[in-house]
Amino acid sequence: MEWSILEQYGPSLLRGFGVTVLCWILGTIFGMALGLVIALVQRYAPRFVGWIVQAYIEVIRGTPFLVQLFVLYYGGPLIGLRLDAIPAGLLGLTLYGSPYFAEIFRAGFRAVPHGQIEAARAIGMAEPTIVRRILLPLGLVSSLPALVNFSIILTKETVILSIITVPELMYQVGRMSAETYRYLEANLVLALFFWVLVEAISRVGRRVETRITKHLIERT
Amino acid sequence: MFSIPVFLDSFEPLIWAARYTLLISVLGIVLGLVIGTLICAARLSSNMVLRKLAALWVSFFRGVPLLVQLLVFYYSLAVIGIDVPATFAAVFTVGICASAYISEIWRGAIAALPKGQAEAAVAIGMKPSDVWTRIILPQAVTISLPALINELILLVKASSLVSVVGIMEITRASQAQAATTFRPLEVYIAAACIYLIINLCLSALGRYLEHRTAI
Amino acid sequence: MTFHTSIKAALFGLTALALGTAAQADQLADIKAAGKIVTATDMHYAPFDMLNNGKYEGLTKDLFDEVAKELGVEPVYQDIPWTAELPGLEVGKFDIIIAPVTITPDRVERYTFTLPIADASVALIKAAGNTELTKPEDIKGKTVGVQQGTAQARILQTFGESLGGVNVKEYGTTDEAYADLAAGRLDAVTGSLPNLTYLVSNRPETFALFDPPQYGEPSYFAWVLRKGDDSASFAKAINDALLKMTDDGRVKAIQEKWLGSYTELPREVPTN
Repeated sequence: MEWSILEQYGPSLLRGFGVTVLCWILGTIFGMALGLVIALVQRYAPRFVGWIVQAYIEVIRGTPFLVQLFVLYYGGPLIGLRLDAIPAGLLGLTLYGSPYFAEIFRAGFRAVPHGQIEAARAIGMAEPTIVRRILLPLGLVSSLPALVNFSIILTKETVILSIITVPELMYQVGRMSAETYRYLEANLVLALFFWVLVEAISRVGRRVETRITKHLIERT
Repeated sequence: MFSIPVFLDSFEPLIWAARYTLLISVLGIVLGLVIGTLICAARLSSNMVLRKLAALWVSFFRGVPLLVQLLVFYYSLAVIGIDVPATFAAVFTVGICASAYISEIWRGAIAALPKGQAEAAVAIGMKPSDVWTRIILPQAVTISLPALINELILLVKASSLVSVVGIMEITRASQAQAATTFRPLEVYIAAACIYLIINLCLSALGRYLEHRTAI
Repeated sequence: MTFHTSIKAALFGLTALALGTAAQADQLADIKAAGKIVTATDMHYAPFDMLNNGKYEGLTKDLFDEVAKELGVEPVYQDIPWTAELPGLEVGKFDIIIAPVTITPDRVERYTFTLPIADASVALIKAAGNTELTKPEDIKGKTVGVQQGTAQARILQTFGESLGGVNVKEYGTTDEAYADLAAGRLDAVTGSLPNLTYLVSNRPETFALFDPPQYGEPSYFAWVLRKGDDSASFAKAINDALLKMTDDGRVKAIQEKWLGSYTELPREVPTN
């Protein structure tokens, strides 16, 4: 084990980790937002719009992120879409995550007892208000564990951004191991950084989960 | 610019490679279901040590990227004299990684079940193992079906990582094909089509099951 | 493997590590006893290693088939991504890396190299329609792609500094650099001459070589073995085979088949 290389590569590894975290946070937020829109469109839009959205979901869910990113970044210029590495990476993450988030929200909405929505309609609540006051809060609570789960999966998809030269952690680790031949150290660095990130996310997720469910239990 | 012949010619070697993708992901999910169920049971047990160990398991295998797990399992264990065959290493690592996610899916589904059911079952004298197999798991399966199918689809795609131990699955085969033809875009789009077909079948299966088991 | 034996194996392995002498074995004797050589290569490095409809072929395979014949053993070919090759070799997952590896001083310190198997001179390509760039010196101030952590990356860096600045962009594999050149984000890509010649002859409508294509010091590709006494006789056997094949013209025939021309190679392992 040769830890002196960490002194040399430490700063670039930390920078890489910063880029990873940033891409993950933005990708998750945008992906969730798009996913929520998709889930609502699926619930309320006319049939044919629903079919188009469904086709989008199936294509994105059915193909690997690596392939999507490659086509977006290297194939995009052929049709005039020329993005830099980081914007392309963020767009890729957003598109990739959105159908999974949409499915999670859909399942969450399904878990909202029908009676609640009917009751709201009966007392004359407008549909947008039902979405805001009943569907979203109740649906979000039951989808929380799945949202955290998928956000964690998304952290590890960020390593694929290295193929389009986004200088994230994997890119920096790849550079370190190619230049120093220190593979074991490189793997340990990757494992450690990701474990820390994922552990932090699931801790926050659990805290939010307990707080929200406690609140629900008190009510019932 | 886009070469249709290269695109069409790519299908044959890639379909051939798809059997490894399917083998690894199907065996991986089976192993993941078995281990994941045990881990979930341990997480919900009354024994503190078991609970902590299971939580550590989930945290570790969810936290460390599958690629790193594979490299460590296949290459680093060889340093201390444990030599495992590549296919075994691939299935095992994919399965272990899936178990962490599956146990969380179970846990979420079980948490959604009314607590009174299990208590009632115990009250009428059911054995704990029967409570699991007859009351908890059947309902948990119904609730978590969409999430499980999601997980299987993710696994089909994650199986591309096993190329690192020398298994020629779809992604690796398309990289090789791309490097021979120097037309990566055409080859990757062909690979995307094959993944899409596999996952559309899985998705359809999921919807069918979901429909049949809807409460 | 039972749990008990795996513990034993682990303890044995640890002891061997601690003693630092993994049983004074002779690799050549082991290979001959087994009757096979387990190799590793990255089968996407045309024209050296490629998969043509699932069949492995290329300059490396033709050369190594002959070498194995000379040694009287069966070659076992495996496709291993480049990033996993050196770590896999170090822990003994295979006997030899037959992917063409550029000989560099710091690699020579860590691994045993065989005699050169091909010229690895560094060269440049550009987009086919580009008339602004012709000779290598023209890349001053331009964006040039290269594979991360390779010998070529370092040579490009040095060359760029001598020109007064080149914007170097590193990629995981050369394929992505080629794709980005085709997509128009790069002005040029640097790599080894044999690879680039093969690429340009396959896609002349997209890529073109510089004129002259080469720059920097000459360098060579060779195969890689583990360092140590036990690989000495193995390395010598391979080198003897390569020399014999050079003398009887087999190396020339194989080079002409895949590279289109023949470059005479050093008869000793270059150390600089």
